[in-house]
Amino acid sequence: MATTIRASSVRPAFGVRGIRRHMGQILLHMLLVAGCLATLLPFLWMFLGSFKSSSEIIRIPPSFFPENPTLVNYQTIFNDPLVSIGRYYLNSIIVAVSVVVLTLFTSSLAGFIFAKYRFFGQNVVFSFILATMMIPFQVLMIPSYLILAKLGLIDSLWGLIVPAAVDAFGIFMMKQFIEGIPTELMDAGRIDGATEWGIYFRVILPQLGPALATLGILTFMFRWNNYLWPLVVITSNERRTLPIMLTWYSGMQYQSYDLTMAASVLVVVPVLIVYAAFQRWIVQGFALSGFK
Amino acid sequence: MRLPVRANRSRRRNRGGGSRGQGLFVASALTPLMLYMVFWTLFPMIWAMLLSFFEYAPTRVGGPLLGLGGDNPFVGLGHFANMLSTSPEAQKFRTSLKTTLMFAFLVLPLNLAITIPLAVAIEAVKSRLKTVFRFIYFLPTVTSSVGVALIWGYLYHPQRGLFNMILKTVGLSPQIWLSNPRAFYFGVPLALWAIIFTYLWQDMGYNLVIFIAALQGIPKDFREAAVVDGANIWQVFWRVTLPLLRPTLLFVCVMTMLSSFQVFDIIQVMTENGRPQDQARVLVLDIYLSAFRFQRMGWAGAEALILFLVVLIVTVVQMRLLRTQWEY
Repeated sequence: MATTIRASSVRPAFGVRGIRRHMGQILLHMLLVAGCLATLLPFLWMFLGSFKSSSEIIRIPPSFFPENPTLVNYQTIFNDPLVSIGRYYLNSIIVAVSVVVLTLFTSSLAGFIFAKYRFFGQNVVFSFILATMMIPFQVLMIPSYLILAKLGLIDSLWGLIVPAAVDAFGIFMMKQFIEGIPTELMDAGRIDGATEWGIYFRVILPQLGPALATLGILTFMFRWNNYLWPLVVITSNERRTLPIMLTWYSGMQYQSYDLTMAASVLVVVPVLIVYAAFQRWIVQGFALSGFK
Repeated sequence: MRLPVRANRSRRRNRGGGSRGQGLFVASALTPLMLYMVFWTLFPMIWAMLLSFFEYAPTRVGGPLLGLGGDNPFVGLGHFANMLSTSPEAQKFRTSLKTTLMFAFLVLPLNLAITIPLAVAIEAVKSRLKTVFRFIYFLPTVTSSVGVALIWGYLYHPQRGLFNMILKTVGLSPQIWLSNPRAFYFGVPLALWAIIFTYLWQDMGYNLVIFIAALQGIPKDFREAAVVDGANIWQVFWRVTLPLLRPTLLFVCVMTMLSSFQVFDIIQVMTENGRPQDQARVLVLDIYLSAFRFQRMGWAGAEALILFLVVLIVTVVQMRLLRTQWEY
């Protein structure tokens, strides 16, 4: 790349080239806006569908906008004696928040140790952690189910929390982040007489804000949206999480798109709000990980 | 993946006093965590391997060790031999393996064909809309996959769906997207195409942000230098940007493959267990049904090991093919 030196001779665009560049930007914006509309279309279809009455939604040909927008689908869901939507929200929140708290603690502690201490067998142990990330969940799913059965945790929210408490990716990510924290801070703590646990809680943890936020939000969203594992573990109605509930109205006895779309709105919107609020952390985190 | 396992080989070991205290801390804090991990990963992994040598159902009382033996008899490599036979479950397995491979090998190039140009385009935006674009294109990725499957199921509905509404408006014939076993395009069932598009819509966000991050990491000088040398935007893309994205490309290819081999949610929700005619039956769906509907956990365990093997082979091959010797 010997030509790099000449890059300094690039001047701000002007004249005919400037206009062309301008045109290029306008064209680019138009294309990207069109792509955005296409991306948003399914969401729009969901929202519009959730406000259509049951008679309108089965009409042929279908309408695009609801002719008589109604909240009746939401009312039906909230008053359905077979569906305790509040309970499902609570279940999803309990599982997601518990896993987040546990994961943040175990990942930051293990990440701290791998980043800042040297001990016998360290590389072997860390390679083992990385290697477990390669194992597809479906391979572990059947034995994990059998372990839960032995522990009596089938059909319990514990069954969704306990296996997720230690996360290989979280440890890896925390180690990377903690390596950037100067060791001098720890030494200063030691001189002040802090124990190793004291250093972890009072020196390291306060420095981890951004990393904890990123990992926490990623973990929360992953658990909130998780489907296969709750589908395997949870059997009784009142212990369902939201994604399991979602398929209820599309099942055999209902096949009702108006209720399904309203339920989808109820499940999808909280995550979209979390995403909108924490956009920066989330996008960074995904860019960093790529596999959640 | 060049994971910096030994990145921090500092020689500052045990500085300051209390190295015994440090040793104790490491041992007492890390040991329980690692045992916990072994219990939920290595132990199930070994158990999965053992299971695949037995005919196992959790409803039967078996031998003393993990319920294996006794009423859950040892079959040796029987399950793996069965996979090559003409038994109905072997045919289901082979169909689902074929569908999974087809799915993964269609998703990867399509995904790259969308995400790389899109990332380059978003990076080229000079206005404040840049973050807005990134925000919107990433929305589907944070959405519950069950929600995605239900919304798209409604979009694809033959009579009530938006897609057929659009097709009719522009004068084309409507399609039975998800349940027409006789519709094929380029040798791939229409139902599988429909699922692939849904999957791409949801999944492109990951790779998009990874590529955007990678593009931001490429020094601007390189592209500008090429422009000064008279390269047009296509030449800049093919000769400069793309080669510099190669390390990221390897990571993205491996990760996209891994996740598409494990597709389950949208297929289980959008189709009725992979119907019509098992055209959308993928391996994870087959494993799920074998293990938890038909209680054939030994067979399902053997299938899962094949999935693992395929994942390993594809990963290693991709790493060989796309490895680079240089960095920037």
